[in-house]
Amino acid sequence: MEFLFRVFYFVEMTPILPTILLKALVPRAERDEILADLTAEYAARAAADGRAAAKKWFWRQALRSALPLLGWSGRREVTGYIPPANAYRPGGPMLPIFLSDARYALRRLRYRPAYAILSVLTLALGVGGTAAIFGTARPVLLDALPYANADRAGMFWMDGAWNEEEFSYLRDKFDGFARVAGWRPGDVTLKQGDAPLRLIPGIAATGELFDVLGAPAFVGRTLQVGDDLIGAPPVAVVSYGLAAELGGGNVPSMLGKRLTLNGMERTVVGVMPKGFWFPTPAARIWTPQEIHPDRRNGYLTLVGLAKPGADIRHMGPYLARIVQTMAARFHYAGQWDKTRNPTVTPLRENLLGSMRPAVLATLAAMALILLIACVNVATLMLGQIEGRSSEMAVRTALGATRTRLTQQLIVEALLLGISAAIVGGGLAAAGFGLLAHALPIGAWGESAQFDWTLFAVALVAAIGASLLIVLAPTVVLWRGDVHGAISRARTGGIVGRGSRLEHGMVVTEVALAMLIASGSGLLVRSVMNLYAVNPGVDTGSVAVIDALAGNGTPVETRQSVEAIVAELSQLPGVTRAAGAMKIPLTGRGNSMGLLIPDRPDIKDVTTYFRVGTVDYLPTMGVRITTGRNFMTADKVQGPEVAVIINEAMARRFFAKQDPIGKLLEGGWGVKERIIGVAQDVAEGQLTDAPSLTRYYLAGTVPWIVPSATLVVRTNAGRDPAAILESARKALQRAAPSFAVSRTTTMARILDDAVGPARQIMALLSLLAGLALVLGAIGIYGVIAHFASRRKRDWAIRVALGLSGGQVVAQVMKQGVLLAALGILFGIAGTLVLSRLLTTLLYGVSAVDPIAFAAASLVLLAIGAGAAFVPARRAGMTDPALVLREQ
Amino acid sequence: MKLPPDLSPLGVLEEQVLVAVLRTRGEAYGMNVRREIENVTGRELAIGAVYATLDRLEAKGLVRSKRVGAEGPTRRLFELTASGARALTETNTMREKLWEGISVRVLTALGRA
Repeated sequence: MEFLFRVFYFVEMTPILPTILLKALVPRAERDEILADLTAEYAARAAADGRAAAKKWFWRQALRSALPLLGWSGRREVTGYIPPANAYRPGGPMLPIFLSDARYALRRLRYRPAYAILSVLTLALGVGGTAAIFGTARPVLLDALPYANADRAGMFWMDGAWNEEEFSYLRDKFDGFARVAGWRPGDVTLKQGDAPLRLIPGIAATGELFDVLGAPAFVGRTLQVGDDLIGAPPVAVVSYGLAAELGGGNVPSMLGKRLTLNGMERTVVGVMPKGFWFPTPAARIWTPQEIHPDRRNGYLTLVGLAKPGADIRHMGPYLARIVQTMAARFHYAGQWDKTRNPTVTPLRENLLGSMRPAVLATLAAMALILLIACVNVATLMLGQIEGRSSEMAVRTALGATRTRLTQQLIVEALLLGISAAIVGGGLAAAGFGLLAHALPIGAWGESAQFDWTLFAVALVAAIGASLLIVLAPTVVLWRGDVHGAISRARTGGIVGRGSRLEHGMVVTEVALAMLIASGSGLLVRSVMNLYAVNPGVDTGSVAVIDALAGNGTPVETRQSVEAIVAELSQLPGVTRAAGAMKIPLTGRGNSMGLLIPDRPDIKDVTTYFRVGTVDYLPTMGVRITTGRNFMTADKVQGPEVAVIINEAMARRFFAKQDPIGKLLEGGWGVKERIIGVAQDVAEGQLTDAPSLTRYYLAGTVPWIVPSATLVVRTNAGRDPAAILESARKALQRAAPSFAVSRTTTMARILDDAVGPARQIMALLSLLAGLALVLGAIGIYGVIAHFASRRKRDWAIRVALGLSGGQVVAQVMKQGVLLAALGILFGIAGTLVLSRLLTTLLYGVSAVDPIAFAAASLVLLAIGAGAAFVPARRAGMTDPALVLREQ
Repeated sequence: MKLPPDLSPLGVLEEQVLVAVLRTRGEAYGMNVRREIENVTGRELAIGAVYATLDRLEAKGLVRSKRVGAEGPTRRLFELTASGARALTETNTMREKLWEGISVRVLTALGRA
């Protein structure tokens, strides 16, 4: 009551703000007396001179005291001076206490180097890994898209399938959208003087693109409507990086410069600001996409800006109307029907969405490892505390409060944490480049910058970890009884308490390791399934070169391809070479309608079509199951051309008859006579069902793309990658107007087709390995502690006739039991968390028993192994020695 | 931490506080010291400055304090130490030497001109 009265009185009498200021600044020991005196004088002044004057006086006192008070507390912190009169008062300088704690902790760590180094390294691995993965993943997870309209723009359904006819018809009829742009991948070759052609990755887009994104140029202008008209002056917009590179650091000087791109002069009209990217950070140049209202090759992707008032996430009604407009004008059929399921995905989700699960799974695994590391260090610290119980007891008896002892533990943990942050930051810096490429985030990995924020992240993670670590020993400290500790220390008795906590921590640790191990087990199974899919081509010993043709006609392009193939076939070590418009496992590619004479029931059927030189199918290792492959003699242009169909087509249309010699139509305007049937090949994605495909011989049908893929089969046992450099030179000799856009091997293409799961599997397996090592250390530590604590116990039992083998068995049992318990909890956790991986899995359920069983067995084995070492030591106990010692 | 007495020359506020502790002997709490200086100099003084100075003087060994009072918060009561007394004497001697031969009357006349 009196207290309440005083508070009320106090607040009522002295102005609140200056009172708070004084309370904050006056050292704790003197706070009461100074405030009481000031209040008394305030009251006296208020009575004598009035409240206003008293208030003013009080404010002056507070404000003018602020600086001296700061100096006062600061001096006490630095010098550690405490007036004798304050010796038994609460408060006092924090810094000297902290420093003395730190000195003490340092001394303790120095005398226990194994404990110190193990703790710091364990933590550093967790902290450094987390920081490195966070740094690599940041662009994908956190950074804002560099577009003002990022929240209002979205990508249309059927990406890469829209044609120019559709776009030019719909251009002003996109209901609900302010603007819609079309774009396609458009890498270009750059010719500079006599230097070899360079490939600049980029896209070709219609004039609306930058308005849709809301991205202004750094200097000059962006593409605008009109640039994409046929016959418009050729222009280009370049990235800041490219401009800096080409302009020798002087970015604005690039404006108006003319560049020879794909053999055509283009004027640079604008430079985008630093940090701008679309659709990936790899793109460095944006050229206009001419729109021919009569072209029907589908390769455009559409991106639209919702009109004011419309929400890009809820465009359903508008899309329905757009689809109606489309259906009224165009005829759609089969799997290319654009009027089905129209959707628009917001930009962020479209550009980064596919990478999120992989990145999140990795980040989660890393966070778990950090947790395991924390548990490990906490267990180690717990062992230390127990070893120090008599010291703690003596200190408590001499007047140390538990708060004071806890404070010291925190200082020790922080010291470990900060050392770990320094080591971990170094690890992060070293592992950064490695990780940037290991994570399936493509160009974002390459553009991820190592910077000092990583150290900040490491430090924050380490300090968080330290505080987490200190929890367990603190609990033991606060629960422990002092007198018991002293008496036990004297008699060497068995410590019961604390071990339950220790066991709990090991169980947690094993459970966490189980989470990671079963997660990577799932991925391993999934990737194994993917590799087991038969792509239909022989992916060994095939080198692949993608090349862009110059500005030649289709006939010139085809002739150049044939010349290149002839040159490539001459190279030593090459058994076969061929050129094709598109090879398997690299996306859907071209397709067209199919008609079969005398079969009017077959309509609205579309098939893939592939065009290659004579040896294309054998070079790719595609078997001809019936009939024959192309021959040079087939290369005649006329009313009838030779065609090879795949088994899927033969099954569907010629189930009960021999397809050889049958006629097909559709697409080229000529009759197509079937000369052979080829086995099914994964023409699009690896996991696609076999699709209807027709193969043609180059020269009988037009080479309709300004690019070619050359494939070279080398002698068996020879690395196809070794041939790439001489193949590239041969290509330049045979066709100087061609530019190489990519050199690779079929094996690599298969790896890419297997996708992000492969890369993340490697990373997760690495993390799982790390988790297992840490888990083993944890189990070892606890079991060793358990065994040594009960040394006397064992000795007595051995003296009474227990055999060494039985002791080993009992200690091992303890370890295996803990591991088993952890595995059970881990499986429970995995059932919940593996949903994170679902999108990465193929042919494996997220609750796959085989993956779980494998992970469990590995963990159990590791648990037993880690327990065996201390168990053996316990089994060899000499009772006479132990009992004499104690 | 026990420091040897610091015998560096006193600052103006230090001197004033020491003298005030002497003048309010037996009642030399922080607040009384402040009032005493205010009364003599006629200028307002912040309590924070007084406490900070007293603490510094105690750290130098020129004053010492003990806690007194049974009711309400205890207060630090300050008194001069032998070193404090010596420091004050020295300061005073130094001042007298400094002023030797200067006539206050002449100085006042100069001030008026």
